Amino acid sequence: MTSVAFPAALGLTLLAAVAGLVLPRGPRRVTAGVLTAGGGAAAVVAGAAAMRGGDWSARLPGLLPLAGARLALDPLGGLFLAVTGAVAVCAALYGIGYTRHGGLDGRVPQTMVPVFLAAMTLVPAAASVSTFLLAWELMALASLLLVVAEHRSRDEVRAAGLWYAVMTHLGLVVILGGLAGFAAAAHSESFEGLRAAADGLPAAGRGAVFLAVFAGFASKAGIAPLHVWLPRAHPEAPSHVSALMSAAMVNLGVYGIVRVGFDLLGGGAAWWWLLVLAAGGASALYGILQAAVAGDLKRLLAYSTCENMGLVLVGVGASGLFAVSGARALSALALTAALLHIVNHAGFKTLLFLAAGSVLHGTGTRDLDALGGLRTTMPATTALFGVGALMASALPLGNGFVSEWLLLQSLIHALPSGGTLTAVTMPPAVAVVALSAGLAIATFVKAFGVGFLARPRSSAAERAREAPAPMLAGMAVAALCCVLLAISPGAVLPALARSVAVAAPGPDAVTGPVTLHLTGLAGTMSPLLIAAFLLVAVVGLLALLRVAATRRTARRRARLWDCGAGPMSARMEYTATSFAEPLQRVFDDVLAPETDLDVTPLKESAYLVNSVTYRTRVGDRIEHRLYRPVLTAAARAGEAARGLANGSVHRYVGYGFYTFTGLLIALAVIR
Amino acid sequence: MNHSTYVQLLDAACGAFLLAGVLVLWRRDLAAIVRLFALQGGALALLIAVLGVHEGDAEVVALALGIGALRALVLPWLLRRALAGGAANRETQPLVNVATSLTIAALLGLLAYAVSRPIVRLDPTPATHAVPIALTVVLIGLFVLVTRRRALSQIVGFLLMDNGITAVAFLTTSGVPLIVELGVSLDVLLAVLVLQVLTARMRAAFGDTDLDDLRELRD
Amino acid sequence: MTGIIGAVLQVVLVAAGAPLLVGLMRQVRARAEGRAGAGILQPWRDLRKLLRKEPITPHGTGPLFRMAPLLLAGTTLVVAAMIPLVTTRSPLDGAADLFAVTALLALGTVALALAGLDTGTAFGGMGASREMVVLALVEPTILLSTFAMSVRVGSTNLGAIVTSVLDDPQQVVFPASLLALVALVVVVIAEAGRIPVDNPSTHLELTMIHEAMVLEYAGPDLALVEWASAMRLTVLLGLLAGLFAPWGIAVDSPAMLPVGAAAIAAKVAVAGAALAAAEVFMAKLRMFRVPELLAGSFVLALFAVASSFFLVAP
Repeated sequence: MTSVAFPAALGLTLLAAVAGLVLPRGPRRVTAGVLTAGGGAAAVVAGAAAMRGGDWSARLPGLLPLAGARLALDPLGGLFLAVTGAVAVCAALYGIGYTRHGGLDGRVPQTMVPVFLAAMTLVPAAASVSTFLLAWELMALASLLLVVAEHRSRDEVRAAGLWYAVMTHLGLVVILGGLAGFAAAAHSESFEGLRAAADGLPAAGRGAVFLAVFAGFASKAGIAPLHVWLPRAHPEAPSHVSALMSAAMVNLGVYGIVRVGFDLLGGGAAWWWLLVLAAGGASALYGILQAAVAGDLKRLLAYSTCENMGLVLVGVGASGLFAVSGARALSALALTAALLHIVNHAGFKTLLFLAAGSVLHGTGTRDLDALGGLRTTMPATTALFGVGALMASALPLGNGFVSEWLLLQSLIHALPSGGTLTAVTMPPAVAVVALSAGLAIATFVKAFGVGFLARPRSSAAERAREAPAPMLAGMAVAALCCVLLAISPGAVLPALARSVAVAAPGPDAVTGPVTLHLTGLAGTMSPLLIAAFLLVAVVGLLALLRVAATRRTARRRARLWDCGAGPMSARMEYTATSFAEPLQRVFDDVLAPETDLDVTPLKESAYLVNSVTYRTRVGDRIEHRLYRPVLTAAARAGEAARGLANGSVHRYVGYGFYTFTGLLIALAVIR
Repeated sequence: MNHSTYVQLLDAACGAFLLAGVLVLWRRDLAAIVRLFALQGGALALLIAVLGVHEGDAEVVALALGIGALRALVLPWLLRRALAGGAANRETQPLVNVATSLTIAALLGLLAYAVSRPIVRLDPTPATHAVPIALTVVLIGLFVLVTRRRALSQIVGFLLMDNGITAVAFLTTSGVPLIVELGVSLDVLLAVLVLQVLTARMRAAFGDTDLDDLRELRD
Repeated sequence: MTGIIGAVLQVVLVAAGAPLLVGLMRQVRARAEGRAGAGILQPWRDLRKLLRKEPITPHGTGPLFRMAPLLLAGTTLVVAAMIPLVTTRSPLDGAADLFAVTALLALGTVALALAGLDTGTAFGGMGASREMVVLALVEPTILLSTFAMSVRVGSTNLGAIVTSVLDDPQQVVFPASLLALVALVVVVIAEAGRIPVDNPSTHLELTMIHEAMVLEYAGPDLALVEWASAMRLTVLLGLLAGLFAPWGIAVDSPAMLPVGAAAIAAKVAVAGAALAAAEVFMAKLRMFRVPELLAGSFVLALFAVASSFFLVAP
């Protein structure tokens, strides 16, 4: 099955790329979109087949010089492949409608989406260092071109593209360094060879490899403090690309950590996983705090990606720690939670980014403070975003709840017998997961309640129009997947267990189709039963209310009471900024918002106020404190280096001459 | 006293000891902080008395009485006298806000637990198991010293540290020689007296006991 | 069989008893303040009055506004059927553990907050915003207290925790349990919107949280909201009573069910009366002092977890 479906996926996406390149503008959009969606569907089939145990591998010696390309799919790679494919189906369907306007039906964006998808299907299937790195770089380049697709219309897009280009290539450099060093020490560049040689390497060498690849992969996954490109690039990309990046590409960062850390290096020291856990926890908290105060809908979603990837890394780190301390069952449980969260996050983040794109499409703005009242003008998008928000806020009936529940279960069952390290790290980890879950609820209540409910806060929101059918179809597919995952996680868990077994061998950590049972631990939960009982309760209450409410008149429409004040204008509503203000005050020390208050008095008297301007901005503090100094220093160095280049050609040729002779002299002296 | 009662009393004393330390961070009212310190002194005395009774060592029980008298009665009384003289009786603007302080206290507790594992492993008795609690109080005391502005809170921080150190000493060795404990207690008493004089002088000079005002002396 | 009858009994008990609990608490407060009070049955009379009124849909509100009271009451009723109040054998016990129960209650809160935002009034938004802050900050305490209580049992399932306390009653006085109890009391106060976090009887702009969200409800909708709030309080107090004083709860024999019902009614009444009496002596905290209270409860919960590692059990 895999041997057919995987080449089919690649073939269809490449065909889509060709279609995007050669077809005229008329049929280009639909053809490329449908072919990409087909490629995505084939990737889902291939991934699912690989997860069911249909391992597949291929060697294409002629494709790459020297080493040749090696491809292989195991259950772990299959999981990521399936997730990528599913996201691509939704995004491609949606893209058919979304790219109709705004110059997005040009050759470059239409070609690059399938190329991006092809690169993302190759990454989890790569089975040698060179193949992996090539696919990785192709993925980075394709996504970079897509991020800057709208660079003509907005300045921020260029800045975002620059940040992304620099960060992703720095990431590539460290991954390249780590994997190349690993391959050199192992005298092999195929993953099989690396796996076999890992045990023979010195501990320090393995630690260095892990550290290097972790930094690179964490940057791709948007883990603080290497996340700075993410909240810039994801919002500025076209929305279906945002979905692909935020729901599929970031996952591959986690894939890299799991593949190299667990599979190729075969676990490691406790400090590796402690580092992963700490980075994940920091990222979860920082990401959701920034999301909670963000006023831009897509920026909010991008920071929420940082948060969710952080939670995934908490699970991965905990799994590694448990594996080191010998608790196999717990290790498998934590990794199951992490991987399930990847699947769930991919579902709801696709849905949310696509819905945010519909809002942008329908109103022309993504500023929450200017939105509102979309429930009357865009009912379908509102309902779909509402489903996504419920899924993302880790509440019952949502799929995020199931994976966070599993994650918490794995964390709290770590007993002090596991060693001082686990005993000391688990309580703060639980607290971090809990706080980020709580803040996620506040964040998505804000996004949904302020953005879609109440009354429009601007004329743009008043004139909103519903998204066209292909866009709604893309979102509906994503929503359907989310709902299925939410009420019946038992359906995917057996397949997921095989993916987990690649990294953390052992029996299935979670069993049961309806009620989830934890293997070896006393813990049960049933999302389906909770949903069913809730439905029964609500229907019962509705019936009870019919009987108990004695006056059976139709509902009368009346004006808002609002404490008896006069008619409210839309300017009196709570905005996203005011909604988040208490949180901003509580977490003042972390967020460090910048506020300026200018009071301009009247000319006649200094005591009479003419106008007051109040501006508040919550910047990314990590970017400000960590990156700005480096950038300023680099700029200063560049400024100083200008003295070396005065325009004289003789001088430039002279530099070459001096360097060359200098090298020769050095060689002569050394040898 | 059978083993189960002993452990329960020990745990209760340790719990009260720790709780009083944490609550010092929570409260802004200096009078309440002094009351909490007195409560902690009482808890410390109870802790030592329980240890003494368990060991059947009359000298330790006598020491417990002495420590209780000093830390639950004399020192709080001295502090209250220092407080009565001044106008500012609230810790209005600590350098680290209260909610963050409390969270940090929680993390300090975990740190104390992590570093005291080797000690506990050396001799795992109920008493040594409680060493992390005493160590937490030492760390909280240090934290109070670092982050609180009022001179009186600083004295309490110093005394919290001393309480913690005494508790560590009794929990690990169950009994310091009488003469050593006497010396330490006298030292503490002297330190408080000196600080009280210093506070009074500060108030006379600056009209306040905010220690940041001392920076003016440098300029 | 015991389980099914018990679960039904629990739902009926909570549904019927919740307004009585609110009435009792108001009566205690009135007596403590030297007033005669309206009597324990007054909340039921209020509900009857509201139910007789005409249903109103304010302009500019959508379907979520109408759904929210149903969800609020629905989640509470489901929780009432799940948690061990009268019996530990509820057939729903395996469907949700303590995490899921608190998350279900949060779902109701979220529905109400969205309804508050949906009205588009300044008050609705303010109430929703504040409620979300409290909800977010309470979460770490809840989960850590759950952690603390599950360490000894090895499970977060409520039935398992309660059974373990019944088997070994002494563990309630361990420092871990006591600290977790204090932390959870703060949680209950915050979640149920009682003094000092929120004042249920105020309509003053500066102080209200819960009331601000429900200002636009009238008639049967308001009745549902009021009833659901009372049930939430009852369920939360019942949960505390069940976790820390589960005596009298029915385990196996159906004959114990009436005893269990009487016991839980008495325990919740005592807890409610104590809470009301304590409230008389307290003022509501400023909104921005609430995080300090919650941070304090967080520390207690963390020490509850830690002390189950620190101290040896006797």
